[in-house]
Amino acid sequence: MAIIGKDTPVGTELPVFARRFRNEMFAMGDIKTIHNDDAAAQREGLPRAVAVGPQVAALIFRMMRCCFEEGWIVGGRVALTFRRPVWSNDFATAHGVIKGKEVESDKVRVVCDVWVERGDGEKAIVGTCSALVPGA
Amino acid sequence: MMSEEARTRVEFDEHGKRTTYDEIEVGKDLGSLEWVVGGNDIEKQCAIDEDFHPWFALDSEWNGVIAPPQIQYRPPRWLLSRTYNIRGVFYRWDFENLKPIRPGEKITITGRILDKWIDRDREFMSYEAEGRDAGGELVFRTTRVHALDVVERTAPRKGAGQDSGIKQEKI
Repeated sequence: MAIIGKDTPVGTELPVFARRFRNEMFAMGDIKTIHNDDAAAQREGLPRAVAVGPQVAALIFRMMRCCFEEGWIVGGRVALTFRRPVWSNDFATAHGVIKGKEVESDKVRVVCDVWVERGDGEKAIVGTCSALVPGA
Repeated sequence: MMSEEARTRVEFDEHGKRTTYDEIEVGKDLGSLEWVVGGNDIEKQCAIDEDFHPWFALDSEWNGVIAPPQIQYRPPRWLLSRTYNIRGVFYRWDFENLKPIRPGEKITITGRILDKWIDRDREFMSYEAEGRDAGGELVFRTTRVHALDVVERTAPRKGAGQDSGIKQEKI
């Protein structure tokens, strides 16, 4: 059951989701990529290997799915900017806060500010996500 | 911090020549790709994202297992990579989930190049894609932005990279 409904107040913080990335999570056999090899990343101008952006963003999607369930699977919307890299051995935490609601036919679209922080507190991903809840 | 080696932009990688900014054609049709999600793909996506739910493994209110919506990241990227070898870094990701993605269902992905621009001495390009089921209904739509390089565009494009924008077409 979704934990956010049409009556959940604007300003409510969503539950936090976090995970530790490890270099070996990004292994692709013996293929060296910017996600699993520091030298490959440095050839691209990065100081070291970086986590796969969509995998980091998935922390936000997990948060949205837990909060909105069905209204995320059908009706979920995402607009994210990847501002900073998350390192391939970094700790990342997804946050969200309800910033508004809009009636959408017989449902309510709940719009959230969302972001992912790296272990050093830097906001790596920022943006908005929204999902539908029953009852206009 | 940037290594000395990376003062150049990558010209070639393991899959050949990188696409340059001038080669990107705004409005270009990226063609289409047929994608069928396998049950193992869903299991793998859940494991990659640590995103587990009975809907993704057992059953759902949509009459059967469904995939986590973010499984749609890769197919539009494959479609782009069939035309352009862009590695760079991912900068923006917009999408909308319109229908659940089901295992065994054929989804046809189409896309086109939306725009390209220069900002803060970096080159960017955007493309859009959508996925439709066998009945022609929209399952998802997405818009993405990639920076072509981490290194400034004023740096010469003559370096050799290892990683490539062209990946195996599998989850």
